[in-house]
Amino acid sequence: MSFVISRRRLVQVTSSAIAAGALSNVTGLASAQPAGELRVATSGGNWGDAIVNAFVKPFEAETGIKVTPIFQDVGAAQIGMMVKTNTVSIDVSTVGAVLGETLATGDFLEKIDYSYYDKNDLDAVPDYCRKSFGFASYIYSTNMFVNTGKLPTAKQRPTTWAEFWDVQKFPGVRSLMSGAGIPGPFEEALLADGVPMNTLYPMDIDRVFASLDRIKPHIRKWWASGAEILQIMRDGVADLGQSYDGRINSLIDAGVPIDIGRNQVKLTWDYWIIPKGSPNAQNAQKFIASTARADRQATFAKLFAQSPSNRNAYKSIPDNIGRKLATNPDYAAGSYPANAKWYTEIGSDGLSNLDQLKQRWKKWIVL
Amino acid sequence: MEVLQKFGRMPAGLTIPAIAILLVVVGIPTIQLFLTSLNAPSFSLVNYQAFFEQRADVVILFRTVTMSVVVTAICVIIGYPTAYLIVAAPQRLRITLVVLVLIPWLTSGLVRTYAWTVILGDHGLINNLLIYLGVISSPLTLVYNRLGVYIGMVHIMLPMMILPLLSAMQGIDKSLMAAARSMGARPFAAFWRVFFPLSLPGVRSGALLVFVGCLGFYITPQALGGLSDAMLSGFIADQFQSTFDLAPIATSAYILLAIAMVVLSVFGFNLSDVQGRPAQISHRARLSQFSSLGQGSRYINEIVTHYRAKRWASHLYQVAHGGTWSKLVGVVFMLSVLVYLLCPGLIVIIMSFSGAAFLEFPPSSLSLRWYQSFLGDPSWTGALWTSVQLGIATTIASTIVGTLAAYGLSRTSSRLRSFLIMVILTPITIPVIVVGVAAYLGLVNLGLLGSKTGIVLAHSIGAIASVVVIVSATLANFDRTLEQAAQSMRAGPLRTFTRVTLPLIRPGIIGGAVFAFMHSFDEVVVTSLVSAFAVTTLPLKLLENIKQQIDPTIAAVGSLLTLMPLLWLVALYFVWRRSRLNASHMLTEPAT
Repeated sequence: MSFVISRRRLVQVTSSAIAAGALSNVTGLASAQPAGELRVATSGGNWGDAIVNAFVKPFEAETGIKVTPIFQDVGAAQIGMMVKTNTVSIDVSTVGAVLGETLATGDFLEKIDYSYYDKNDLDAVPDYCRKSFGFASYIYSTNMFVNTGKLPTAKQRPTTWAEFWDVQKFPGVRSLMSGAGIPGPFEEALLADGVPMNTLYPMDIDRVFASLDRIKPHIRKWWASGAEILQIMRDGVADLGQSYDGRINSLIDAGVPIDIGRNQVKLTWDYWIIPKGSPNAQNAQKFIASTARADRQATFAKLFAQSPSNRNAYKSIPDNIGRKLATNPDYAAGSYPANAKWYTEIGSDGLSNLDQLKQRWKKWIVL
Repeated sequence: MEVLQKFGRMPAGLTIPAIAILLVVVGIPTIQLFLTSLNAPSFSLVNYQAFFEQRADVVILFRTVTMSVVVTAICVIIGYPTAYLIVAAPQRLRITLVVLVLIPWLTSGLVRTYAWTVILGDHGLINNLLIYLGVISSPLTLVYNRLGVYIGMVHIMLPMMILPLLSAMQGIDKSLMAAARSMGARPFAAFWRVFFPLSLPGVRSGALLVFVGCLGFYITPQALGGLSDAMLSGFIADQFQSTFDLAPIATSAYILLAIAMVVLSVFGFNLSDVQGRPAQISHRARLSQFSSLGQGSRYINEIVTHYRAKRWASHLYQVAHGGTWSKLVGVVFMLSVLVYLLCPGLIVIIMSFSGAAFLEFPPSSLSLRWYQSFLGDPSWTGALWTSVQLGIATTIASTIVGTLAAYGLSRTSSRLRSFLIMVILTPITIPVIVVGVAAYLGLVNLGLLGSKTGIVLAHSIGAIASVVVIVSATLANFDRTLEQAAQSMRAGPLRTFTRVTLPLIRPGIIGGAVFAFMHSFDEVVVTSLVSAFAVTTLPLKLLENIKQQIDPTIAAVGSLLTLMPLLWLVALYFVWRRSRLNASHMLTEPAT
């Protein structure tokens, strides 16, 4: 039943007036690119630079294919529009894990051709990083951080989310991730309520919000972007909170008194995807395959401390960098991969779990 | 000539270029999106039902409107006296003040928002100062709540209020005030009975721009607000990032549009209601004539007038003396407004000289590395140049088209006018992300996706709306008998327009042009879609740099853009001094 409803929704989307009206108009954009080119959306800042240096430049040098990096983020609806109106102007992009699953359910993505990949590489990559619609070459995490200046002794610092929720025993100004986007503080709420890491999914949404109720009055700021939490940590706005590992590590490197928690860490990742109708799909396949290589991933980890998905990469990553990485085998017992697939599963009411969470979040913040 | 005369008879025809651009770029896709929200072709209201069934959605919608109304009210209360004082200032000071008011626009909204957290934070400038002075012992909660959102939003919207007010006030004939005073009106009465009613079109235009602008806010409420301060556009933007289904996005957008239209019609934003006002005044006059109270006060007035007229002559010589206090209050008020407007920018400038890799205040070390990283990188300077080009093209296109439309609208029957205004204002009333989607689909149809022409068109639809609003404010006070006089002297419509109308409404046109440029120069949401990754503007480049961290390069860009108009002001001052010297030289020459 639920499947039928979701199918109908999809048909409505794809047969909407927009799609029908615009499909007949193909602009010059799509055909203007000569063979031997590739347009890769890399996102911006020092992140985009690291992607270019680790993956794009060596690929160009090796294949002679001219890659144009596009330092922008691409939203789901944007990819949807490009595909529907046949104006796909990027060949490759990274998207968050849940977004990748969402786009795949809408049939907006090319299938990844795994015949381009070395078997040794593929065998060293966890299942959740090699899907039919996308391949992940790096993994990152959301961790607990504490300001060691404000909380100087180990006794003052919580190590589990249950302790983080215990505001009596562990006083301090707190900051958590907003649940308006993805990922949200949902898994953490369940962990705080005593759910073990290995039985988080399927998540009990009622229980998530019951747990969030308890911490709600004690959160000074619910942050929404990585840039925001970076400044919150750096300026000492919060004494403890939740943040991406990359941001915490960059502050530790800069000498800011921040410590990163390695317990109950949520692993997540971005997929490289190819929008359906990409004008250089063949080159796109080759490019994504090259990001699976251990040497490329090791270079990336050195430039921007994000974990390689190919565990062979650890062989050439020096120890001082390896210690920063979320998938370091030493930390394996303290982490769990987010279940991106669960977010896109459709419930009995025809809504995906993601939609459910968002509706509940809205209700939770205003009512 | 015949065509022009025909246009003269059919004033609504002057709106044709504006409406045409609007229809071609976003009109048809907007209708398509509307159909999508209705689940065409099967047509149902499920999306709207779904929206209203969620009580949270309704609460958020209500809150969005309330917050917009509050910000608009604050902007009117602060903006009106500010604009009044600016207009009253001597010419040279006036230009300086206008530039100072507009300068905050040149700093990226994102950096400014961060600057506010530096000022208002728990360990921010204000709290530290108050604790240091011993006024408070624990920090005040100034940010991450509604107060913080209002401070940030008013800061962004205030120039948008002041600009149309200035245009309207500049157009008011100062001799009318003097005439009122000469008839014995006290300064306040002269202001309240003469100046204020004439400035109302400016208030209306400004309030309109601020209100619809507020409806689309989402970065500021998120960054400076608490959990319960999120506005509807924020949820629309989140949805755009995480779903490919446009129907719910379009639904929220049309509900917001409908609410905006209802609020606008309730508050009577009919822009140029020149015909309406005289009728109202005469009505009021009649009322007071018939009421005994009115008669009594008239009688008293008549007695007092004689006395007042006597005093007036002595007042004339006392103005400087009696005005000291009000002058002081005015100066203090103006300075407070300027401090409020410029403080975040100042902090951005200071932070831009930081040597650290993060934004920090105060900077722990000083360096020019972020200026080097801007000026030494062709991708930054190229983006700046692109933005300037797009801004100028948009300004020219939308000022011409928008002024024509406003002129046409001012002489169209009021029912048709309301409808046309609604159509023209749609692009600034709908959440900007939806305008982006519509413009994307429109430019796909035109084959202009990813071209500079396409971006100029997409920017123009919003800019035209702003120009129409601002120019209308000036036209509302425009005395049409002047045109009739010119025509009676056998001037053709074109000649009348260029020789009589145009010079008189120039303040409005300049205000509109400035607004159009700023609109284009700052636009990022629509651009990020319609540029199709082929054109990089400065705001796009700024946006892409904040993925991982707020790179201080952004602060350097902001302060460069802030310092440039300041340098221009200094240059202007020297040119002005030279020309004045020359002029006095020339004047004195015949005497020698």
